[in-house]
Amino acid sequence: MNPIIGQALDRADGPAKVTGAAQYAGDFTASGMAYAVLVQSTVAKGMITGVVQEAAQRAPGVLHIMTHLNAPRLPQGGKAAFEPPAGRMLSLLQDGVIDYNGQPIAVVVADTFQHALAGAAQLRFSYEQQPAALDFTAAKRSAYAPKKAGKEDADVAWGDAGAGMGRATERIDHVYATPMQTHNAMEPHATLAVWQGDQLTIYDSTQGIAGARKTMAKTLGLDPSQVRVISPFVGGGFGSKGSVWSHVVLAAMAARTLRRPVKLALARTQMFGPVGGRPRTEQHVALGAGGDARLTAVRHDVVSHTSVMEDFVEPSATQTRMLYATDNAATTHRLVKLNVGVPTFQRAPGEATGTFALESAMDELSYALNIDPIELRLRNYAEKEPHEGKPFSSKSLRECYRIGAERFGWSRRPRQAGTLREGNELVGWGMATATYPANRMPASASAKILADGTAVVRSATQDIGTGTYTVMAQVAAEALGLPMERVRFELGDSSMPDAPVSGGSMTVASVSPAVQAACLDARAKLIEAAIAPGAPLAGATRDDVTTGDGWLALRSDPSRRVSFARAVGGRGAIEGKGEAKPGKEREQFSMHSFGAVFVEARVDRDLGRIRIPRVLGVYGVGRRLNAKTARSQLIGGIVWGIGMALMEETSLDPASGRVVNASLADYHVPVNADIGDIEVVFVDEDDPHVNPLGAKGIGEIGITGVGAAVANAAFHATRKRVRDLPLTLDKFLV
Amino acid sequence: MKPAPFRYAAAQSLEHALALKAEAGEEARFLAGGQSLIPAMNFRLAQPAMLIDLNPLDDLDYITVDNGALRIGARTRYSRVEHCAEVARWQPLLAEVLPNIAHPQIRNRGTLCGNLSNADPASELPAVMLAAGARMHAHSAGGDRWIAAADFFINLFETALQPDEMLVEIELPALPARSGTCFIEVARRPGDYAMAGVAASLTLDANGRCGSASIALCNAGPTPMAAAAAAQLLIGGVLDAEAIAAAAAQAQEEVEPNGNVHCTADYQRHLAGVLTRRALTSAAARARQGTSA
Repeated sequence: MNPIIGQALDRADGPAKVTGAAQYAGDFTASGMAYAVLVQSTVAKGMITGVVQEAAQRAPGVLHIMTHLNAPRLPQGGKAAFEPPAGRMLSLLQDGVIDYNGQPIAVVVADTFQHALAGAAQLRFSYEQQPAALDFTAAKRSAYAPKKAGKEDADVAWGDAGAGMGRATERIDHVYATPMQTHNAMEPHATLAVWQGDQLTIYDSTQGIAGARKTMAKTLGLDPSQVRVISPFVGGGFGSKGSVWSHVVLAAMAARTLRRPVKLALARTQMFGPVGGRPRTEQHVALGAGGDARLTAVRHDVVSHTSVMEDFVEPSATQTRMLYATDNAATTHRLVKLNVGVPTFQRAPGEATGTFALESAMDELSYALNIDPIELRLRNYAEKEPHEGKPFSSKSLRECYRIGAERFGWSRRPRQAGTLREGNELVGWGMATATYPANRMPASASAKILADGTAVVRSATQDIGTGTYTVMAQVAAEALGLPMERVRFELGDSSMPDAPVSGGSMTVASVSPAVQAACLDARAKLIEAAIAPGAPLAGATRDDVTTGDGWLALRSDPSRRVSFARAVGGRGAIEGKGEAKPGKEREQFSMHSFGAVFVEARVDRDLGRIRIPRVLGVYGVGRRLNAKTARSQLIGGIVWGIGMALMEETSLDPASGRVVNASLADYHVPVNADIGDIEVVFVDEDDPHVNPLGAKGIGEIGITGVGAAVANAAFHATRKRVRDLPLTLDKFLV
Repeated sequence: MKPAPFRYAAAQSLEHALALKAEAGEEARFLAGGQSLIPAMNFRLAQPAMLIDLNPLDDLDYITVDNGALRIGARTRYSRVEHCAEVARWQPLLAEVLPNIAHPQIRNRGTLCGNLSNADPASELPAVMLAAGARMHAHSAGGDRWIAAADFFINLFETALQPDEMLVEIELPALPARSGTCFIEVARRPGDYAMAGVAASLTLDANGRCGSASIALCNAGPTPMAAAAAAQLLIGGVLDAEAIAAAAAQAQEEVEPNGNVHCTADYQRHLAGVLTRRALTSAAARARQGTSA
């Protein structure tokens, strides 16, 4: 029988999504539900000195106005669940302090959404304004070292970077910058909070229902058993739904006060500030190389902004600690505080911005050394992790370069920049390395084989548009021995067995082993039932029983067989449980996905306009559990990269601290017409170390390297090196 | 958001619409496609007390051709003009610009007269009216008058129309023989407002020299901007690369761009030069070939 795992199956949830049957957070309703609207500050720093709310109170349908004057007091001033990096500092109306323009300062609840909106428009605040920190450059003077950079230390060094740089015959030494960005998932954040006595149910759009339950319980002073979080469909998260933000807690607070369910959906403009974003980075990269093109030293010093409320670090130097072989390296992360909303994880936090800097610098070094950019990377290929010397659990990067070069036609690329031209367009080819860590966290699942011969498998994980429903059903079907159509995988309810946040590209790596274990447990119990005295396969040994296509059969005598339905028989159901967690493999191995991305850029000589007609990405990401969803993930990641390279930028008004392009009309993301051909190729890998399924993460590696590959291609076309994203037209005019 | 409260009246005839407008004055707005007005009302940037809906007035939906001169009615939607063979034949500049205006769904609803009455200098159509030498037919209970495009656009979102007047019709003169036109723009995204755009129209004289020229730019100042001095440089001369480059350089001097969140004023000015050069080059080639467009 063909294995089910790996097949290019359509999404299990596709029909529900295209017919509108899929219920997203904002689609849920509850009897007696009221509508809340979030009101935000209009100044960047100061104190609220007055609230004029009579008109709003009298507005039709308004039920409740919650401000810092009347909001219920929370344990520890609302900070009980503050636990960086995922447990955020929230704005829960516990005081009148304003830390950024757009900070939640009130919630207006009414009988209809329109009434809430109209009421909110009549609420007036007065402030005592204070000078706000809004200038990144000025704030750099007081940059400081954070405690950590992601999971790693802020500063990591080995060898002697200064001495290595001194020995270099060629040096590259530049600052690369990436702007503030905003996630802009298609589905805005939305929450419905329903209390039944002391039991709280939250219908939320979240990447982490288990984390949301814990955070809500702690913040509100409840036991986790009092909170249930439901999130069956998420219309994109990109990191911004990996944390509980203020509006979720505020909805629950308002619902408790009003004693009726409250729905709070953010408007598109409200997604620019109170629910995170990618911070600006300025990255100083210095590379030194000898005549043999080997790196004698690497420096990567990152400054990124955070909010005055909390330290969040965009860990842009982390890939520099493992990507290339060098004996001397020094990497640092520093923060500057601004009066802006708390930044957060966004689409490969660290690697997306970090590879732009490092891989642009590598490209610059290849020109300085006059060698091919791929050859430069091969000369510095890390056979083992360069810092601690650990072997890689698997690494096909050399294959990725080779296959990519072949398919892209790289050998036809002139070494010299600025030599390809077609009409008014300058043509350039660039490449970069892609990488993302293979993460994994503990997860659990249950599997129930029912008397009708179908199975229901559950885990409190999420499908954020990535294919979890489909892939987990494939894993379950194969482990059980059932056809796909007889397995239902359920997720998105915190009453199910625990699973980790869908972030860090780790859902498949974490949850699929648990699903597999639960299904194997259920299968083993089913076999026991089938071979018990008096049962259809009585007398057989358990090792003699195989399962497939909904049947249990004996290896020794395939004519003796029984259907799953009959084997369950009068028991009603047979249930298995599974838990899976990482072992000590991380101590022994360095575990990452790798890839190589190739880009053709065409730049209008007069206008500076860049088009990207062609991208090729070649990746080694372990085993793909569904060839179709895997490919789609990588294509999506590359589109993110093109958006980051050419368009995305959140613009802050330096006077008011307000985001001036807080809409999809003004904050540009790529649309179909912006995207040319994207080809994705996989190098098969058998990695027994990362997890039992051998799957490395594929959710985020697609964006990494793309920014640099585009900038490198644009340089190859124009001889103009642009070191600050996005690559807008004006930057290519001389 | 939802708009502030307003009264609504469906016009039963042109006279009815004008009577309502004369009564309500500046507080009332005509509703045609509503492609700019309704979003502005939803953002509460516009809060008219009354909307007079012209959509029932089917008799204002027409395109007529008289010896090559085009007349287009107040209720005629973009898409009809876009797909009209007569328009492409007699006034190719208009045919060429239309696909640049927003998206097909919007062009299925929006009207040319509505666009022009809104007088958004970032919009393509006002510049095309300048370049084509169009006339605007203003109508009120008190009578009719024709306003040249050059006199119609007064300032940002401000026209020469009086509060009791409606733009009922536009007229574009026939394009003479040996003419060529071109519209070209650059936008960050297709369908967005352009960062800048240029409409050019050239006619050769019997000797193959430039007999007449007009150049107008969108999103280059508080109104559609005619680059009159640049056009003047071309007249009487040979339309070679040198002359065109000189006119483009002059056009760059005539615009007054403001910059916006998507581009700087310097980049807009740069665009004005490049696009003028490209538009004139195409228009001149078309005039020589006698293909117009």
